[in-house]
Amino acid sequence: MKIKINEYLKKIVVLFFLFTPNILYADFFEDITNLIVDNPKRLSYGVSVTDVNQDGNFDFVVTGFGYLNLALSYEEGKLIDIVKQKKFTDEFRRTIGVAACDIDKDGYEEIYFLNTDTYSGEKKYSDRLIDLENNNYIDLFEIEKNQRDLNLTAGRSVVCVDRKGDGNYGVYVANYGGPTRFYEYDNDMIVDKSAQLNLAKITGGRAVVAGHIISDKIDVFAANERGANFLYENNNGIFQDVAFDYRVDDAIQNGRGTALSDIYYRGRLDILSGNWLGYHRAWVLEKNEFKDVGNKDFDKPSRIRTIISADFDNDGFDEVFMNNIAEPNKLFRIKDNGKFEQINFQVGLEASGYGTGAAVADIDNDGVLELLVARGESKEQPLTLYKAIVNKENEYLRIKPLNKYGAPARGATVTLITNKRKHSKTIDAGSGYLCQMEPVAHYGIRKNEKNFKVEIKWTNGTKKLFKVSELNQTITIRQK
Amino acid sequence: MKKFLNLSLIIFLILFQFKSLAEEKNYHKELITDWSRIFPDQNRNAAGPKFFKYIIDKKITYKDFVEFNKLYCAVSGSLIDPNSEPDFLYVNESDTNSKICGNYYKCCIPCSCDIMKYSKVQKMKYKFVDGIKEFFVFTIKNPCNKKDFPNRVNKDYFCDGKKINDKQVYNLNDRIVIGLLHDGRSCNKDEIDYVKSHQVTGRYCELRNNTPLENLDAGMGDIFIKLAR
Repeated sequence: MKIKINEYLKKIVVLFFLFTPNILYADFFEDITNLIVDNPKRLSYGVSVTDVNQDGNFDFVVTGFGYLNLALSYEEGKLIDIVKQKKFTDEFRRTIGVAACDIDKDGYEEIYFLNTDTYSGEKKYSDRLIDLENNNYIDLFEIEKNQRDLNLTAGRSVVCVDRKGDGNYGVYVANYGGPTRFYEYDNDMIVDKSAQLNLAKITGGRAVVAGHIISDKIDVFAANERGANFLYENNNGIFQDVAFDYRVDDAIQNGRGTALSDIYYRGRLDILSGNWLGYHRAWVLEKNEFKDVGNKDFDKPSRIRTIISADFDNDGFDEVFMNNIAEPNKLFRIKDNGKFEQINFQVGLEASGYGTGAAVADIDNDGVLELLVARGESKEQPLTLYKAIVNKENEYLRIKPLNKYGAPARGATVTLITNKRKHSKTIDAGSGYLCQMEPVAHYGIRKNEKNFKVEIKWTNGTKKLFKVSELNQTITIRQK
Repeated sequence: MKKFLNLSLIIFLILFQFKSLAEEKNYHKELITDWSRIFPDQNRNAAGPKFFKYIIDKKITYKDFVEFNKLYCAVSGSLIDPNSEPDFLYVNESDTNSKICGNYYKCCIPCSCDIMKYSKVQKMKYKFVDGIKEFFVFTIKNPCNKKDFPNRVNKDYFCDGKKINDKQVYNLNDRIVIGLLHDGRSCNKDEIDYVKSHQVTGRYCELRNNTPLENLDAGMGDIFIKLAR
């Protein structure tokens, strides 16, 4: 009898370990903040990834609220601020939102800095649109012909939109307490076209993304505060708000961070939307309506800011990083069938961090993404930099689409097609909260994955398909 | 003994699996998600009846019905925090005028006073997916003939001309159902004494109920009262 009970107890112990969630874990990130040279406490907000000095490498642009805007370039194993010119650093205009895209079709990206010296409504200083000319950073909004429609309303995020699919990028400015703006070159002048494009609505604009969401052109999803979200369907370059019809209006929640993610690995982009102290959404499109498939761990209300979908650890499954302010960050892995699995981690948790923005890029070109976190708002804190601890056997593939002008094809969709998945990623035009990721589709590779093909859906909806025979590389494809 | 141990092991496993696989229903999230469907014009003033109608029209169990009805205020039409505690109170039954006691989930204290004074309860029978159930609901009389129908309330929600709009709100014997009285039953003397002596349902409500309408600025102010009186 005693022996039988012992056997029974043994079974119980084995089952306990089999079914109890594993609380013993290796950490997910390593902290590499020490790579940032000269990293004082400051109030930082949005982060963008673009080639600031036109040397062919991406840099982190970090906005400063009463502090310098930074351009952190990876040089000799360190992140170094490379721009000292005042039009760019602009210490006193209080920059929070940032996005870069090629507005003048010269093959290089201009940088839109959204300045906010007041919470809502009319502001004192307009935004800046920075261009590099003969080694000088100039503000295109300071040129007289471009001053007709300056943005003098408080705002938050900005996103680049190639609305006609012809490489002529405009900038959607999510304003707060005043009409949304949409700046675009027209007859060699930068003008606001928001009214004629049906975009000039007044709301508490917070976050915005653009990409192939519901049409074959570039649509826009804007997560708003104190008002319903917008989902703008692109109809030949003119927009129509269909958020209510598609059930993403979320009228009584307060949007904060948003990103596009292929939640089902089915070859289309769906929407992640983090709500301030509200339920976070993982919306997947089913029968002309978005359905929220986030589980109770994922949707749990938090003080969210940026939300990022990326494969940090190169395992072939995207993670979702939720950057909370004055509350621990969260990390999830999106498994097959849209299952969100929470990842326990300590490094990068930042329980007392005042996260305001974050962006990812493979800044050191080693095939693993770096995560730069900006912090500030109500407490000066330094930037932090993380990198996933990656299994050395994990492989990767990076696709960098350029448009016909040679600029990053922001808004295009890249889809990796293999025996395991059909996985779409957007070439980030602006996402998270106030931020913009690197314009590269970064894929980790799954175990036993083979037959690699890549499809690029350009901003005009046309597609290019090609086979990939070699992994662990960045493939640059230029639109014809 | 061995059979018993193996059986208990299997039961343990089944329970564990179910616990880990089942996602609890999030009633609050569902109401937040559907809010703009319930209130297409964004006006939820005094629109508890819209919530009630929306909920009862779902194909749900009685348990779901009860849980959903804890999450909005029948008086104001506000959503209620999922962790809110109800007030124990009584309301007169419309047919018998006897006191019916139960729990009322409210957005704020004045709403408890308003519901006690300006609503009546009625017994209602309804077939849910798990069977027919009987319960008490708060009702107000048909407001559609009012000359002073409150202008901050969407009349189309409640009325189809001079009749109750059955498509938008639940009509029970020509009265509008505005919400559920939880755990409703006939009051006993102790319960009545408790309600009368309670600092909210007793003392505070006496003060509020004796305040002239034009001086009411707490809760929904006079909006619900004008609708329900």
